[in-house]
Amino acid sequence: MNRISRYIVLIIVAYLIIFPLLWIVVSSFKPQRELFIYPPKLLPMRPTIQNYIESLKYGDWLLYFRNTCFVAVVRTVLMVVINTMAGYALSKFIFRGRDAIFYSMIATLMIPLQVIMVPIFLLLKSLGMLNTLWGIIIPPSATPTGVFLTRQYMLSIPNSMIEAARIDGGGEWFIFRRIIFPLSQPIVATVGIFSFMWSWNDFLWPFIVISTSKLNTLQLALANFVGQYQINWGSLLAMTVITMIPMIVVFILFQRSFIRGMTAGGVKF
Amino acid sequence: MKRKGLLVVVFLLCTAALALAGGKQEAAAEEEIVLSALWFDDADESSVFLATMKDYLSANPNIAIDMQVIPWQDFEKKLKLMIAGGNPPDVARLTNNHVAMLFESLLELDGKLDKLDEFKKVYFSGSMALATNPDGNTVAIPTEATANGMLGNVTYLENVGVDIGTVSKSWDWDEWVNVMNKAKDGNQKAQFGLSYDFSPHRWSTLLFQAGGRFLNESGTAMAFDNNKSLDALNFFKMLHDEGICPKSVWMGSEQAQEMFKAGLAVFHIGGSWWINAYAKDIQDFDWAAITMAKREIRSSVFGGKFIATFKGGKHEEEALRVMSVFSDQKHNAQYCRDTFNLSARSDNSDIDYPARKADFVTMADELSVTPAYTAEDWKSPGLNKIYSYIREQIVEGLLGNQTMEQTMKNIQQEGNKYVK
Amino acid sequence: MRKKKLKGNFNQTLAPLLFLSPNIIIFGLFIVVPAILGLRMSLYQWSILGEPVFIGLKNFTELFGDSMFWLTLKNTLIYVFLAVPLLLVVSLLLGLLTAHRLPGIGIFRALYYVPAMLSLIIVGISWRWILGEEMGILNYLLKAAGGMPVHWLTTDTMAKLSLVLVTVWATAGFYMVMFIAGLQAIPDDLYAAASIDGANKWQTFFRIILPLLRPTVLVVLVLSTINAFKAFELIFVMTGGGPGYATKFQVQNIYLVAFEQDRMGYAAANSIILLAIIGLLTMIQFRMTRGELAGE
Repeated sequence: MNRISRYIVLIIVAYLIIFPLLWIVVSSFKPQRELFIYPPKLLPMRPTIQNYIESLKYGDWLLYFRNTCFVAVVRTVLMVVINTMAGYALSKFIFRGRDAIFYSMIATLMIPLQVIMVPIFLLLKSLGMLNTLWGIIIPPSATPTGVFLTRQYMLSIPNSMIEAARIDGGGEWFIFRRIIFPLSQPIVATVGIFSFMWSWNDFLWPFIVISTSKLNTLQLALANFVGQYQINWGSLLAMTVITMIPMIVVFILFQRSFIRGMTAGGVKF
Repeated sequence: MKRKGLLVVVFLLCTAALALAGGKQEAAAEEEIVLSALWFDDADESSVFLATMKDYLSANPNIAIDMQVIPWQDFEKKLKLMIAGGNPPDVARLTNNHVAMLFESLLELDGKLDKLDEFKKVYFSGSMALATNPDGNTVAIPTEATANGMLGNVTYLENVGVDIGTVSKSWDWDEWVNVMNKAKDGNQKAQFGLSYDFSPHRWSTLLFQAGGRFLNESGTAMAFDNNKSLDALNFFKMLHDEGICPKSVWMGSEQAQEMFKAGLAVFHIGGSWWINAYAKDIQDFDWAAITMAKREIRSSVFGGKFIATFKGGKHEEEALRVMSVFSDQKHNAQYCRDTFNLSARSDNSDIDYPARKADFVTMADELSVTPAYTAEDWKSPGLNKIYSYIREQIVEGLLGNQTMEQTMKNIQQEGNKYVK
Repeated sequence: MRKKKLKGNFNQTLAPLLFLSPNIIIFGLFIVVPAILGLRMSLYQWSILGEPVFIGLKNFTELFGDSMFWLTLKNTLIYVFLAVPLLLVVSLLLGLLTAHRLPGIGIFRALYYVPAMLSLIIVGISWRWILGEEMGILNYLLKAAGGMPVHWLTTDTMAKLSLVLVTVWATAGFYMVMFIAGLQAIPDDLYAAASIDGANKWQTFFRIILPLLRPTVLVVLVLSTINAFKAFELIFVMTGGGPGYATKFQVQNIYLVAFEQDRMGYAAANSIILLAIIGLLTMIQFRMTRGELAGE
């Protein structure tokens, strides 16, 4: 496919995918009563930033932003570190129980969180982790998905490099830090992006753990715009647009990282 | 490793910020009793509650309220989690549905709540009925009363020469259908006569108007299997089959109120809570609350919100005091006025709403002719357990997947599994 | 696949366990323990605010005779078997489209990924509006162009299809990212070698690229299947399980049983059956793509 036709396809596909997003962004600039008119209109008749101003009234957004940032950053760092370590152990070593551990991790992915909500709540309560930000940082950080991704990736790191390092007398931690981790930039970037996004968008864990408005996260606060009888569309849309921006920034920063890592050819995924 | 460095810096900044914020919090918490309040908002009830209680809090500086707002959809889940975990909030705003489901965990107020006897006399009997547990003990205090009711597009009706104020004083279902068809046909933009909230609680308005009900007198078994229920079900189906009601609300996911606001429907059956929303959002046409039509009787359905405290709460005395103060005439009037809701107190029927007073009067009038057994039915925990089932079954009938008679029998049967 | 005998001391126990330990400790404590406790409730009758009562396997026997269980299982299976293959193909195509290092490609990747960044509630209520029968913009555009409005969410078949399409829209970006990573790792000289050998585009794709993508395909397959089985928030917001029972899936049923009907034990039993079904499918997927069991 030559360049020009590729760009054309890219743009067409982008348009198809973006259309609903356009609606969200454009609608956030419509006064609430313009949202549900018939016939529906795409562009606002009277564009306004009223929604953005209004939505700020519904809570201490700066605080929620701080909380969410703190949780997302710490959780991401924690996730990347422990999941890459676990993925390494499960892909590059042979020991009894290895596969059992791996498969049971995958198995727990299949349990909907709603079902184990109550036991988790009781457990966190007995550990004194309720109503703390650590309660939403530590428990979800050992996600099996992260381990799964890193394990699959590391399977294709050539064993020869590890063997050579061992022969040269390198310790296990040295091997991990200086060989495996650097070679895993692409998957680290991937897990990092996903981690940040899952944490930023997480509703269920904060819902279970937090019962005080001082520790609210953005998603918890955002959900309150969806009421019993109606949805506060104006504020919901405006806040959604605002909360999306950090995620997009993180994505753009990180995705460059995995192109760079890739040019070191020969590393299979 | 620039990215990593950046991360570390952000991390440190956030931690520092948080440490500072956390520090301030702890210092303040020394001498205070902090009551935890769990609320859900339709408009902004949580902030109005705090504003209403401001005078009490200033008079009692050692008491503070930590308000946590939870989305309504998840409210019950959250409450159950907290109760099961031994951590219930000190006060909470509940719907009548919640009271019915959670009555075992609510603190019984007789003998404990200040002025309870006065409250029992002055609050609507329908509201107080919803606030009692099956043993007859009061477990919550009503705050707002809600009435199911009808809103109408007055402009459309005037366009076809209908004086709705007069007509609605004494009309029945057949006349109502005629008016709907006339207004729908005579207004180009109107495509439907009626948009109906997608809710069994709202549907039950028709049931009660047809002279039926869900449960028997003593609330111990279903009494739904009769020709009055069938009448209501068939009427509802007829409205859909003849294009008076849009299919996309009950059989799709469109919102009844949006269709009314957009001018697509002449009437909307919802409830008194819409007065507030419509006052803000509707500017293109005249609208008003309209008295509903009669079948066998006139009826609305009692609903409402309540404030309650829980067994095993840590600050029982203070919570009860807050509840008592909040429920007195002055505070209740302020809360209802600022949240645009009907008060559940009979001595607050003349609240000075900033606007749309006539609509509130219409709705209050609907409640005054509503039989108390509408409340008795809806406070049954058993009935609330089949809430989704009722809705699904009605839709199956509307879709034509089964007859309405089958729907009626299924609901009767399923209900008897849970209603005791 | 036979395990090769590896040189260089890959056969250790202490080191890997140490590497695993932070993950295992957190995971074991916060996920496994509650999961076992929660699932154990399947042998009990338990109202969330009451005391559990042991009833043995009664929940399971009731489940097998429960028409709602079978109905929601059927709906879930239809959804999974439509959504997963579609998701696999679409995300692979998107990956193929954006894996090349063209100027500005990062912007397109970000755009395609943005839907995956939205919370499912936003996705649900936005699409619910767009697909609205009377007031939605899609039908409006169709009518304006002289066509017939489509019953996107008001008939059984279309509602299921619409859900599949929205799911693909909302999650393809996520799996696309994985495919980009996988595709980028294929060395350029392989492509050159293939064309020298006279292979055309299709042959290159099916004989060289796809096999090298096997580990990625496995991840995408397994994760998308698990997520499809667990689908709840998006569905609930978009259709509430309707019209009627058309889009009522397993997790919604579990949720209603647990919280509305107040039967946590029965819900737990349902979850175990769901777990078993997903587990079985996952094992088949591992076999099918011959997911490596040993480091190679």
